[in-house]
Amino acid sequence: MSEHIENQLRRALRRIEAPPGFTDRVMRALPESAPQASVAVVSPSRPRPRAAVWWRLSTPAALAASFIVAIVVGQHMGTERTKREQRAGLAASRELMQALRVTSKKLDLAYQAVKTPPETADVTEENRS
Amino acid sequence: MSPQSATDDTAASLRLARGGNATAFADLVRMNQASVYSIGYRMLGRRDAAEDLAQEVFLQLYRKLASIESLEHLGFWLRRVAANLAIDWLRRATYSATQPLDAAAEPADPRAEGDPLMTRALARLLGELAPAARAVMVLRYQEDRDVAEIAAALDMPVNTVKSHIKRSLTALRGKMIGAQLVTAEGLSEESP
Amino acid sequence: MKARIAFCLALSLASPAFAQINGQLQLPQFASLADKASESVTVTLDSQLLGLGCRFLSTEEPDEAAAKKVCTSLSGIYVRSYTFDTDYAYPKADIDGVRRQLKAPGWSQIVGARSQKEHTDVDVYVLVDGGKARGLAIIASEPREFSIVNIVGSIDLEQLHDLEGKFGVPDLQIETDNKPAVTPPAAKK
Repeated sequence: MSEHIENQLRRALRRIEAPPGFTDRVMRALPESAPQASVAVVSPSRPRPRAAVWWRLSTPAALAASFIVAIVVGQHMGTERTKREQRAGLAASRELMQALRVTSKKLDLAYQAVKTPPETADVTEENRS
Repeated sequence: MSPQSATDDTAASLRLARGGNATAFADLVRMNQASVYSIGYRMLGRRDAAEDLAQEVFLQLYRKLASIESLEHLGFWLRRVAANLAIDWLRRATYSATQPLDAAAEPADPRAEGDPLMTRALARLLGELAPAARAVMVLRYQEDRDVAEIAAALDMPVNTVKSHIKRSLTALRGKMIGAQLVTAEGLSEESP
Repeated sequence: MKARIAFCLALSLASPAFAQINGQLQLPQFASLADKASESVTVTLDSQLLGLGCRFLSTEEPDEAAAKKVCTSLSGIYVRSYTFDTDYAYPKADIDGVRRQLKAPGWSQIVGARSQKEHTDVDVYVLVDGGKARGLAIIASEPREFSIVNIVGSIDLEQLHDLEGKFGVPDLQIETDNKPAVTPPAAKK
């Protein structure tokens, strides 16, 4: 195959540096240093200059926030379930391919033995019932 | 720094990282990020996707560090996980296989030789290959791995790897001629 | 009388013949072999996992597309394959137990290949039920490798044949509607 295109490919596929700060972002994402999720919830019990108005506004806001959190958590759980299923499916597909490769390898072994000349192999083909 | 001392440093970082040293793990990330990020970028065609993928690869490395036996194993493991994860993501259609590369994403490479237009076009054409073929080409021409290692990394027979390389080179050559980037005479065809 | 009928029915249900109708062999765990092997491949995909794996195969890749066509009608794939650092590190008794199951009615040996040069034995069996192949079994023993493959389900021999070139599956002249089988002169039809 043309050396020209292969050299062009090597030039085209030079490694690219990761964006600045990449390592820091990876380290921050590691389990021990994972940032804690927080949800701000307005507390109606804190004294406010306009407590009555504040109370009337904060309860619906807290409810809305809880509702949104529930949706996000639900979506996250659904997403997690989907991810788990996808991981399982991909793992199963890899196992399937591995099984078929072993099958083909062994059938090839039989084929090689079948086509080997009689003086080097003792081959029988059984009757089919 | 001489190549040998760089290797010694990496080996020391691996040893320390396996012992739980976070700084050493950060060193391993820095030393390997270009390779992993580039695999992600070439496979997925987007910088944000490439960074997501690279981050996921290093998070997996962090969890599996105890099983990494040597520097060679580390390199193989990173390439294997990055390539296979990229193939998985492409197949899940999270990132479309035919998604064009970011138009302005290719950073200018001061080391780049030859025709930048050709270079950019080839990288774009690579994005039109099917996921497994693309991974083979990236591991071959970006990471400079041999056929046996590519086969092991992607869990495919050696002959399949060779077929992917041959078919992909033929396809790329045809597309380059079709896009009038080169002429048929300019690319002399020799039998493999 | 009823007790006798029930007893015979129970016996037939327990017999290997009934257990074989679906083409699935009872494969041992081979735990001791796995410990001794330098490499081992153990695949156990029942119908649920097989269906899941089949869905995740890509139609863009030729080998996966071919595999997808084959696996959609299967209900199980089971592989036990072990590689050793020394010759014949596996006891033949382990293989004999599986071979005995293949003597049950319905199973036919279609290939029995022995190579003195390579010291390999490969036997290929097919379970035929109602004129269709319902199971495939391969037992392959080499000096340093031992493998059992059991494929269960409605096996389309033409599709298996179509895997040639994708997995390097050779043409074993397995009989299909279009191709005659290779039969030795003394074979009976």
